Amino acid sequence: MAAVTAAQPRSSKTESYVDNKRKEDIRQANIKAARAVADAVRTSLGPKGMDKMISTANGEVIITNDGATILNKMEVLQPAAKMLVDLSKSQDSAAGDGTTTVVVIAGALLKQCLLLLTNGIHPTVISDSLHKASTKAVDVLTAMAVPLEISDRESLIKSASTSLNSKVVSQYSTLLAPLAVDSVLSVVDPAKPDMVDLRDIKIVKKLGGTVDDTELVKGLVFDKKASHAAGGPTRMENAKIAVIQFQISPPKTDIEQSIVVSDYTQMDRILKEERNYILGMIKKIKATGCNVLLIQKSILRDAVTDLSLHYLAKAKIMVIKDVEREDIEFITKTLNCLPIANIEHFRAEKLGHADLVEEVSLGDGKIVKVTGIKDMGRTTTVLIRGSNQLVIDEAERSLHDALCVVRCLVSKRFLIAGGGAPEIELSRQLGAWSKVLHGMEGYCVRSFAEALEVIPYTLAENAGLNRIAIVTELRNRHAQGEINAGINVRKGQITNILEENVVQPLLVSTSAITLATECVRMILKIDDIVNVRDSTMVSTAKYLLSSRILYGGFFLNFLLCLFVFFSKLCFLVNNETIHMQHAHLAIQALL
Amino acid sequence: MAIEKILKDDASEEKGERARMASFVGAIAITDLVKTTLGPKGMDKILQSTGRGHEVTVTNDGATILKSLHIDNPAAKVLIDISKVQDDEVGDGTTSVVVLAGELLREAEKLVAAKIHPVTIISVYNNVCLFYRLRMASECARNALLQRVVDNKENAGYAFILYYLPNVLGFDKEHFAQLAVDAVMRLKGSTNLEAIQIIKKPGGSLKDSFLDEGFILDKKIGLGQPKRIENAKILVANTAMDTDKVKIYGARVRVDSMSKVAEIEGAEKEKMREKVKKIMAHGINCFVNRQLIYNFPEELFADASILAIEHADFDGIERLALVTGGEIASTFDNPESVKLGHCKLIEEIMIGEDKLIHFSGVEMGQACTVVLRGASHHVLDEAERSLHDALCVLSQTVNDTRVLLGGGWPEMVMAKEVDELARKTPGKKSHAIEAFSRALVAIPTIIADNAGLDSADLVAQLRAEHHKEGCNAGIDVISGSVGDMAELGIAESFKVKQAVLLSAIEAAEMILRVDEIITCAPRKREDRM
Repeated sequence: MAAVTAAQPRSSKTESYVDNKRKEDIRQANIKAARAVADAVRTSLGPKGMDKMISTANGEVIITNDGATILNKMEVLQPAAKMLVDLSKSQDSAAGDGTTTVVVIAGALLKQCLLLLTNGIHPTVISDSLHKASTKAVDVLTAMAVPLEISDRESLIKSASTSLNSKVVSQYSTLLAPLAVDSVLSVVDPAKPDMVDLRDIKIVKKLGGTVDDTELVKGLVFDKKASHAAGGPTRMENAKIAVIQFQISPPKTDIEQSIVVSDYTQMDRILKEERNYILGMIKKIKATGCNVLLIQKSILRDAVTDLSLHYLAKAKIMVIKDVEREDIEFITKTLNCLPIANIEHFRAEKLGHADLVEEVSLGDGKIVKVTGIKDMGRTTTVLIRGSNQLVIDEAERSLHDALCVVRCLVSKRFLIAGGGAPEIELSRQLGAWSKVLHGMEGYCVRSFAEALEVIPYTLAENAGLNRIAIVTELRNRHAQGEINAGINVRKGQITNILEENVVQPLLVSTSAITLATECVRMILKIDDIVNVRDSTMVSTAKYLLSSRILYGGFFLNFLLCLFVFFSKLCFLVNNETIHMQHAHLAIQALL
Repeated sequence: MAIEKILKDDASEEKGERARMASFVGAIAITDLVKTTLGPKGMDKILQSTGRGHEVTVTNDGATILKSLHIDNPAAKVLIDISKVQDDEVGDGTTSVVVLAGELLREAEKLVAAKIHPVTIISVYNNVCLFYRLRMASECARNALLQRVVDNKENAGYAFILYYLPNVLGFDKEHFAQLAVDAVMRLKGSTNLEAIQIIKKPGGSLKDSFLDEGFILDKKIGLGQPKRIENAKILVANTAMDTDKVKIYGARVRVDSMSKVAEIEGAEKEKMREKVKKIMAHGINCFVNRQLIYNFPEELFADASILAIEHADFDGIERLALVTGGEIASTFDNPESVKLGHCKLIEEIMIGEDKLIHFSGVEMGQACTVVLRGASHHVLDEAERSLHDALCVLSQTVNDTRVLLGGGWPEMVMAKEVDELARKTPGKKSHAIEAFSRALVAIPTIIADNAGLDSADLVAQLRAEHHKEGCNAGIDVISGSVGDMAELGIAESFKVKQAVLLSAIEAAEMILRVDEIITCAPRKREDRM
């Protein structure tokens, strides 16, 4: 491709006119694509924003209002558009909320950049000015922010509800907001008051009931039944809980084994031995006083057999099987116990204690609840209910955003007004600042200021208000010094938004602005798209080549199939300790 | 007169003028592709993979762009190779080298068209190059002296990084320059960049990036094990922690009862316990394994309050062994012969949303970790590449402190000298010498073009400035005018510049000598796929 364009080499650069047409085209194409993405999510901004229905390739339907989710599922191909998708992802990881806002801001900035570019301003100049403007913007925002005490539960709830109000589940915000605040506050470690690890909050979804039934559980919830085989107990008071990572099933060695049976009397003996073996294990377990067993999932062999379940039921031990390996850490942390990997290590001090473990019927299924845990670790479980899967999924996403909002407030304790107030104030202050700057810089900063007005515009538009009237009035109020005036979507007019309790964490606003600017600057700097070969294909080819040398062409096909099969297997069970290495080893062993 | 076919089917042969033409075209096309990334205001490229997933990379780094191109033209491949070599040798100047070679070829093409023999051109290029090198070294000596008087060593490096870091980092340049200088200063003169670890974590902004003394491993601590250890004694290992299997095909156990199976299983467990005991016999309190640690040994370690980290990657353990001063062990029979690693403190830290393990106060004082934060993977990857370039150049400069002024200054000085040489030389050679000087001037021209400046005017001004003796003028892309490079503190490493020049000339020479291209018939694929 490049060779064609250069088929007639130009004479020396110093004497010729440089034709930059192609570069401009690429930049414009990039900007257009990115703006198309931004426009797609624009209508979902704000409390009266609309939702999107996405039907994925495998026929699944998702209804959501969450920018990050929409973009994630859109499967865009254009590289610049992809960068916008990444942008919303990073906002998600940095602040957790404002994923739509950040994309909308980026789109507006790009629109202004296009204008600046057509005026013949060099992209690097624009990019530098944008950076300057964004640093200034962060300063302005910080100056506007209101400090917050973490003990101020009311304020935390207010900001969580601001986030929830723009979601599908907004009518439940009175329930979900305090829930989010309580769950985050309960996992804050007094030793490290600024850190919140959201992995300490487990969200369990269960179909049935309504979102109203969503609850915060002080303890553990398993989305599975207790084992019912042979009538084992399903409710246990004063539970002594063991988390085990070994299997209660007939022994199996790592080396391949076979038992040789030469006559039928031996068969009986073997069966008896098997029974004795399992009985022996269960006796050891019983001896420690354990009465609830959580068994890690195993793929190498059966974690439990019917036989062992039977004995366990006889021993009045409640069994919950197929616990995922990655959940073990959370469980042990919550129960304040240690996992047990070998029957020999089964000791009473490794057990966790709880007042009650019981199986509860919920909707169409059953769950197991563990409550009243002694010395419970700093974890929390939220049980989300809903009438259909779509609502539950959306509730989970919304709750995640609310949790993130609270987390932001815990790590950076400042609040800022919502409802477009910070953006319009920024726009005003930056506009004023641009007048004292010289040259291109001033011009670009002014564009930046104008671009920020997109947020109040969109808010008003989505709420069905007259956007021009609203934004001009808003500007007017801000010019008179009411820095907290914002759009009150419910009343459809401009009010002091702090009084309306529409607040959000400072971190969400600042990170939205800095991230959007960073992304726009990157898009501006790109002047060419080059197609390159795929590195994974190269490695596959190399793999094939090497295997061809090793085993000859005949095995090639066979090998490939095997490899694909094993990698799929690994994918399915990747929570277990099987690893790719083993797949390779297995292939070699088979050959 | 029909000659029998000499070559195979599908193989082709291009001769003389056509061959030369093909190589010129290829080389110049490559040059034009990367040209726009040159200089502090160069643009970026999107590299879009044609494979599954259509992954996207955004970069400004010449070597990265060229590495990933589909290229069929042999001459173009030569240029890509020199850029790779430049990357490996000095780590920076990967774009400059390709651009210079391309410009030299562009000039050579005109000379060939004017009936000057390629070999003449080559010999002139070589001679001029030699001359150039001598002059540059002497200029350097003068300059380095000057530089040292003005700044101390550290500041020289700092200023010079400012110029070098590509523009993605934008206004955070100062921050990054400081990072890079701090990191390299910790190395205390060694060029072992392995001791500097770069970790990328999305989230935050580039300004949140920081330098951390010590080592960070992106792994988790095993369950129920201490999360904080002081005065750690670390054993770094690469061993299987599932079971020691008999790895012979077909090995199997034959038994006739269940209890025997249980016994063997018990024996396997016992072996593992033995192994863990042996490991513990080293008197350690931290065990890092490259392979997985299964639940059973993990529990044993937890019981002994030993911190065990499983599945650290190859790179991770090699570096860990290096910085903590330990050895990677795979057998544990002789505790006295195994060198353990040491560090003052191991603890879990949180960066963004992720938990990482931090080793501080490590044996090898030089070691440090740079944690990069940024909006997206693209930003991070690009920041890593830029930082890598900066680190390479800095570490080279710390060893060879000679620096040149930047901003097209060396090219202009040399162009002037070369021009004078051309005037003194009689015969056809003088054309080639002039051509050389034109190729040199092309570099400031491109830098100016990329910054959106009027290159014709600026370069002319620069040339006029340089007519004065001892001038420090170069292109100041920030203000868009000719400025004093010494005052602005823009400098580049002599070593890089020299490598650029030498490789570029070598490549140009190689391509010029070609008068026939033979393309072999592609190897046929077997239809087994």
